Amino acid sequence: MTLLAFIILFVAAAIGYVMNLRAARAIRDGGSALHSLAGFHGMFSALVVLVPVFVLILVWLALADPLIQRLVAASLPEGTFDGLGTGAIQLIMAEINSLAGGRVFGTPEQWKIDAAERLVAYERNADLALVVVVLIAVVALVIFARRTVTTEFRARQGSEGIMLRLMASCAIFAIFVTVAIISALVYETSKFFAMVPITDFLFGLNWEPQIPIREDQIAAEGAFGVVPVFLGTLVIATVALTVAIPVGLMTAIYLNEFASRRARSVIKPFLEILAGVPTVVYGFFAILVIAPWLRSTGATLGLDVASNTALAAGSVMGIMLIPFISSFADDALSSVPQSLRDGALALGATRSETMLNVLFPAAIPGIMGGILLAVSRAIGETMIVVMAAGLIARLTINPLDSVTAVTVQIVTLLIGDSAFDNPKTLSAFALGMMLFIITLGINVLALRIVRKYREIYD
Amino acid sequence: MDDLRRIERTAEMSDTKISAKGVQVFYGDTHAIKDVSVEIGDKTVTAFIGPSGCGKSTFLRCLNRMNDTIDICRVQGSITMDGQDIYDPRVDPVQLRAKVGMVFQKPNPFPKSIYDNVAYGPKIHGMARTKADMDGIVEASLRRAALWNEVKDRLDSAGTGLSGGQQQRLCIARAVATAPEVLLMDEPCSALDPIATAQIEELIDELRQQFSVVIVTHSMQQAARVSQKTAFFHLGNLVEFNDTDQIFTNPQDSRTESYITGRIG
Amino acid sequence: MADTTTASTPAPHRISLIERSPAIARRKRKDYVLQAFGLIAIAIAFGVMFLLFASLIRTGHTAFVQTHVTLDVFVDPAEISVETLPRGGFQDVVTNALIAKLPSADEASERREVRNIISNGAQFYLRDLVVADPSLIGQTISLTVPLADAYDQLHKGSISRETPEALRRVNDQGVAWLDELIAAGAITKPLNFALLTNADSRFPELAGLRGALVGSFWVLLICFIIAFPAGIGAAIYLEEFAPKNKVSDFIEVNINNLAAVPSVVFGLLALAVFLNYLGMPRSAPFVGGLTLALMTMPTIIIATRAALKAVPSSIREAALGVGASKQQVVFQHVLPLAMPGILTGTIIGLAQALGETAPLLLIGMNAFITSAASSPFDAATALPTQIFIWADSPERGFVSRTSAAILVLLTFLIFMNGLAIYLRSKFERRW
Repeated sequence: MTLLAFIILFVAAAIGYVMNLRAARAIRDGGSALHSLAGFHGMFSALVVLVPVFVLILVWLALADPLIQRLVAASLPEGTFDGLGTGAIQLIMAEINSLAGGRVFGTPEQWKIDAAERLVAYERNADLALVVVVLIAVVALVIFARRTVTTEFRARQGSEGIMLRLMASCAIFAIFVTVAIISALVYETSKFFAMVPITDFLFGLNWEPQIPIREDQIAAEGAFGVVPVFLGTLVIATVALTVAIPVGLMTAIYLNEFASRRARSVIKPFLEILAGVPTVVYGFFAILVIAPWLRSTGATLGLDVASNTALAAGSVMGIMLIPFISSFADDALSSVPQSLRDGALALGATRSETMLNVLFPAAIPGIMGGILLAVSRAIGETMIVVMAAGLIARLTINPLDSVTAVTVQIVTLLIGDSAFDNPKTLSAFALGMMLFIITLGINVLALRIVRKYREIYD
Repeated sequence: MDDLRRIERTAEMSDTKISAKGVQVFYGDTHAIKDVSVEIGDKTVTAFIGPSGCGKSTFLRCLNRMNDTIDICRVQGSITMDGQDIYDPRVDPVQLRAKVGMVFQKPNPFPKSIYDNVAYGPKIHGMARTKADMDGIVEASLRRAALWNEVKDRLDSAGTGLSGGQQQRLCIARAVATAPEVLLMDEPCSALDPIATAQIEELIDELRQQFSVVIVTHSMQQAARVSQKTAFFHLGNLVEFNDTDQIFTNPQDSRTESYITGRIG
Repeated sequence: MADTTTASTPAPHRISLIERSPAIARRKRKDYVLQAFGLIAIAIAFGVMFLLFASLIRTGHTAFVQTHVTLDVFVDPAEISVETLPRGGFQDVVTNALIAKLPSADEASERREVRNIISNGAQFYLRDLVVADPSLIGQTISLTVPLADAYDQLHKGSISRETPEALRRVNDQGVAWLDELIAAGAITKPLNFALLTNADSRFPELAGLRGALVGSFWVLLICFIIAFPAGIGAAIYLEEFAPKNKVSDFIEVNINNLAAVPSVVFGLLALAVFLNYLGMPRSAPFVGGLTLALMTMPTIIIATRAALKAVPSSIREAALGVGASKQQVVFQHVLPLAMPGILTGTIIGLAQALGETAPLLLIGMNAFITSAASSPFDAATALPTQIFIWADSPERGFVSRTSAAILVLLTFLIFMNGLAIYLRSKFERRW
């Protein structure tokens, strides 16, 4: 049915285009001068039909299903949900939905069957209503557009105005995404802070998000101190940068100063491949190769290396960041003006002296920007740590130990759990909020540095 | 004044510092310099003039092997300095450039302090044993470049913060600080205003006492003002090389004549 | 110029150009040291890359073949009848055929162990055959079915025969049986097309990537449909039409920052807004594509703006000069010239989206789903999430399957990036 609505829309737009085109041509052939070309009259009609109805269908699709679910839930017998948690309510609704889809398990109660039938009926009506509404709308719009075809009508300005607004709204959409991220995080985080005091979260040294599922369960109350989790992220990020910064910078220096044209043309694409490897692959590489190797090496050295040591996740993350840092540093070094290089060489400086004393210091702001962006990526990187780092939060800075990370906790807390009414799941949003604020701060700073640096030499 | 200069010229002509024979330069497939032979005297200012794109800067960059830094550039022929072939494979361009300093078209001070800019050359060449030695070299070089009085109170401020003329004099001080024997200047005044240009020109005349100076310029007046010898380049050829007076008063080649009278350029 | 006369510059040091002083030699050595460091760094990067691919190929290549056994199955009417289809004793029938191939096996006591040699899915192969053609009942047919994971690994050598029996997943009896089957010529190792055509399964020997490939296809399609027009529209507006003021400046900063927001945060957004607030279905490629579109859009915007910026203003002026409107200039002259650059950026953005995992995990695209999605609203997995699920599975067979899945994913990525590089080199213009 949704497909039908789209087909109606596109057919109507095409009809509108042809109708206006023909009408405009008829006027022209009649000897009158049009303000705009006939094609613009057609285009105007097509746009007038397409844009509003397309938006209408999208909004309908986004809102119809949740609305129907709410209607069905409201129509259930009084008191069905009394005393039930979110999980139990979701279970009932899921069962009604499966019944509506024709998947019957066991013998459901009659009221569930009734509800399922109501659900099917609502959905059918909603689909029908959508098609009818779309039909009415396109007919009205086509007629409206047809009426605009006159010699004076500025169809070019009209259609260009619509296009311009369309493109502007695409640009504003980017802001809208940021606003959506922030408000979603703020909303869920505020729910979390209503249950757990913010000071406990920010300064607590204990992270044990397991909470009792049943009332009578004897379990830890759940502790939500973010310090050990964040410390784990820092340990892993430090290991990663210890690997990535020297290797990345040295690669960039070699590429920029010593590599021949041909070597560059081989090494650069190769680094691009390395940069394009998905992080889930790096994560698997960490558990398949690096972690076992670190463990056996540690054993021969007499060191006690945990099986999911921060060293494994960190070093693999470092490998991931090498091409990132080297390409930033290469760009920064390349944008140092040739005149400075010439100046140093003309004084009789060797290549290494030119590089280390003149080019590198001149490029430092640009390189710093790149390193900061790498730091932000290391903090926000998810899959490598989810696969290779630990789950238990420990207050340690020993990279041989197993530590957890902010992103690991976010993912494990939310996988397979969508009840947003307990501190365990909500704490993931508080972590996400923290992650967002920190990375945003670093990014803003880094991008500003890079921008300033570009302005100096451009 | 004019008479005095003429006497000096004849007195010092004899001593050849750099001698180029049959130099050819190629940029990839482009033949940029065609069979140029020229002798550059010691303690003389030699000017290279010619329309833009004539190869005068390219030839200048051959004299301290700056063209080595360009991958696609090939140099043939022989260039000797004090009788030694500078393109001999045993010659280290680093050592050569310490002896042949260069000042560029656009002032290019390093993004460091004024002091560090001047001290950089002596430092890498190990010319000063103590801090006091270095201070001495920096002061002397800045004085030589006629900049000392303007910057002596702010040696620690950034070299890039100076005015254009000051920056160019700083670059001259930087080049002089390594005690070169030859100083190459690639249109050193083209980015400067007339007052700064006058200062630099006066300075070049001073520098002649100690160095052999080669200056590339697109301004014939400048060549006439500062140089004793002038070479006219056209389309990669050295058309005429003679005493500056001769070139400007009595050119032997019709192309030179056309150029200095403004008919080609 | 008074100060120059009193100056005493250091005297020129007249040394030979050829003679090397120790100081020069020392400085030259530093060149080599720096160069060596650079080469070491590049060697590290190359080495790790080599190790990555070598280890993936070493563990993954075995998954591209699958050990099968060919059995002569008598479809026993006593076990299977037309009336009870699709139910019936298919497993017993298959096991009987296997025992017939193993004279040394004791029918009564070792039936269970013998059954473990072949995949649990073997009975369903037979069932599907018989359901499709009930006339097979009562006949003897030749059936080729995959071995169970442990025997598959044993045959491929991933499980060593030298390992002490207590530590080995296949006991000595099992090894003997396998040898017996090999000697009987019943074992084959054909190319494993099931890796691409089967959906996910609990049993490694049956698990395939079909569901994940279909899921990733839907995800990328949705992502492209949304991000490509929206990204180009936003970029054109910002680059060609937006007034240069605080608002457009803010949008620009915003987009640059959006490109650097960690992917897991987009997952949180999708979970809270799309799933929880708007009630969209869990595990659906539609939601995954929507989420990845939000992430890919900044990449496309940035690439498009760079491509538009590279078109020289002389072209715009020429078109404006003959009386074209600003939009005609952009859509008829600038955009076509910028298209190769835009496409390159888009392909690179989509390649990133194809490998993106974390946001898909949060919207539940790591579910265990044994059929391929038929629409973008059905539950599905995607290639990277499938890799994550398999990497988490304890069975030995899943290690090679994970590596194989990664090799499939990397093949797609290399193809996409290669296409981008080709486009860039083919259509690149230097203005």
